[in-house]
Amino acid sequence: MFTSMQLHLAKVFLKIFFRDRQSVMLNLFFPLVFIGAFLFIGGESDPIKLGLVNNSTTTISKIFSDLVKSDQLFEVTEGEESDLKEQLLLGDQTAIIVIPENFDYLEKTSELRLLLDASQVRQLGAIKEVINTSLLSIERELRNSEPMFSLKIEDVKARSQRYIDFLLPGLLAFMLMNLSIAGSGFNIVEYRRRGILKRLFVTPIQPKDFIISIVLARTLIVLMQISVVLGLAIALLDVKIMGSFLSLYGMVTLGTFIFLCLGFCLGSIAKTQEAVRPIVTSFTFPQLIFSGVFFPISSMPEIVQPFAHALPLSVIATGLRDIANDGTSLLVFNTTTLGIVIWIMLSFFTVTKFFVWKEIAS
Amino acid sequence: MNIIEVKDLLKSYPQPGNKKETFNAVDGITFNIKVGEIYGILGPNGAGKTTTLEMLEGLNDIDGGSALINGLDVSTNVFKVKEIIGVQLQANEYFDKLNLTELLILFGKLYSEEIDSDDLLKKVDLLGKSNAKPEELSGGQKQRFSIACALVNNPKILFLDEPTTGLDPQAKRNLWNLAKELNAAGMTIVLTTHNMEEAEYLCNRIAIMDRGKLIAEDTPQGLIQKYAPEPQHLASQGNIEDVFLALTGHTLRD
Repeated sequence: MFTSMQLHLAKVFLKIFFRDRQSVMLNLFFPLVFIGAFLFIGGESDPIKLGLVNNSTTTISKIFSDLVKSDQLFEVTEGEESDLKEQLLLGDQTAIIVIPENFDYLEKTSELRLLLDASQVRQLGAIKEVINTSLLSIERELRNSEPMFSLKIEDVKARSQRYIDFLLPGLLAFMLMNLSIAGSGFNIVEYRRRGILKRLFVTPIQPKDFIISIVLARTLIVLMQISVVLGLAIALLDVKIMGSFLSLYGMVTLGTFIFLCLGFCLGSIAKTQEAVRPIVTSFTFPQLIFSGVFFPISSMPEIVQPFAHALPLSVIATGLRDIANDGTSLLVFNTTTLGIVIWIMLSFFTVTKFFVWKEIAS
Repeated sequence: MNIIEVKDLLKSYPQPGNKKETFNAVDGITFNIKVGEIYGILGPNGAGKTTTLEMLEGLNDIDGGSALINGLDVSTNVFKVKEIIGVQLQANEYFDKLNLTELLILFGKLYSEEIDSDDLLKKVDLLGKSNAKPEELSGGQKQRFSIACALVNNPKILFLDEPTTGLDPQAKRNLWNLAKELNAAGMTIVLTTHNMEEAEYLCNRIAIMDRGKLIAEDTPQGLIQKYAPEPQHLASQGNIEDVFLALTGHTLRD
């Protein structure tokens, strides 16, 4: 399938990559920092810091403060209003609930005060909801009434999903894009600038041998680096891969191929080392924003959604997400796999068109 | 017997500053090189020496005329030609992180050949440096290593593009001796140079190029006889540099 020349050159590229320890570490740094951050916060967001001033000694105030304190959404600090206000101004508290002295059920409405710095509070909705729910349940208890309705949330896909489960496939896709483009685009420009390509092309090596070797070596590099991140995510963050690893690695390989081809094109367009960076950035940056790596494309403005869905990184990230989160097989034909086939053809066509050997080498 | 036959070779490029016009970097040159010769191409900067060499090496397209190497047309058999030639380029950069042995083995593989790297390094007097990286070598050592890379396929013809530029006298002499040794072993050598002493010392025949044209071609002695400055009876006191300046003038070129 591969000639011994291609295999040897691929081995050389691998050797060069792994001997550059700094580059190996830097490539792993960004995803590992993410995993580390999630490990630190346990995959959940930080609790809201809530100050509680209880001026009342009634049973109801006790029940209310216990209910608020038991809610995991909050980290409650009890204290004097003046102290807590100071903390609120310093930003150490997000909001303060003040229970009035006469907080009781005396046939008239008791009023709670909520103090906050409106410019800082994004979680107001969540705070209000918990307070309302707590008050409602106290009221029901006192009035001895059963709730008329209850809302039970069920995931139609019948599995629990955390943000890290959503994020990881996107992160892997982003990582493979960067590794692939650096492997083809940046390397081509650097090899050309230093005359290394010219030196290679006085030998009988053919352009396809060179491309195959880079594709082989880079695919292995991407698979290895992704395995490290994936392994750590599984071991430390308890991330579950619903589909088969074969499908997942197959998808990674296809994604690597697409981005390597696109990287060769970018490297061919850029004539200098100075030019390649802005060219690559203007290619990767919109993808980082619009490809649903960090949040779903469906949460973006509707006008950009069709564009966002069509980006190669979106296609790969969705493909990986389908496999990792929904257990889809790589062989199932759907819009994502269709998108991948289209991008493979498009990138391969472009690389054969743009990557003119003699111009590249000279 | 000719191993290289070049006829009306032409290379044109867009005129700098006016892309619609073209100029001929190599303007219809014709020459033959015999088996076992050391053939020098002399010329000022921009004369077309390197472009000529690059067309023969298959690095640059031939726009007109023909070039046969060992009977093979370079235009149509470029990969077969590359198998029988060895090339030392002006720029000597290699992949990072690889030592001399690894680089030689890599170049051998590009010709699908298993090579004895130590034997090659010994040939260019670099056996003690087999584990060194190219960037750790001196200028002369780099040039010798570059020749070792060009020898991995045991080529019939060795192309050297300004091999001694920037070298000190010792390194230069050392490289000339290496070229002589390789030639004595039967290798045809084609070299470009600015160094008149080099051309005179090494070459069996010299071609002088200027502005894309071949303006003179002969043995060093023949050129001195023909072109060295007057008076004729003192010609034996002139040298190839006198010939070169007489033919290409004293105007500075970049």
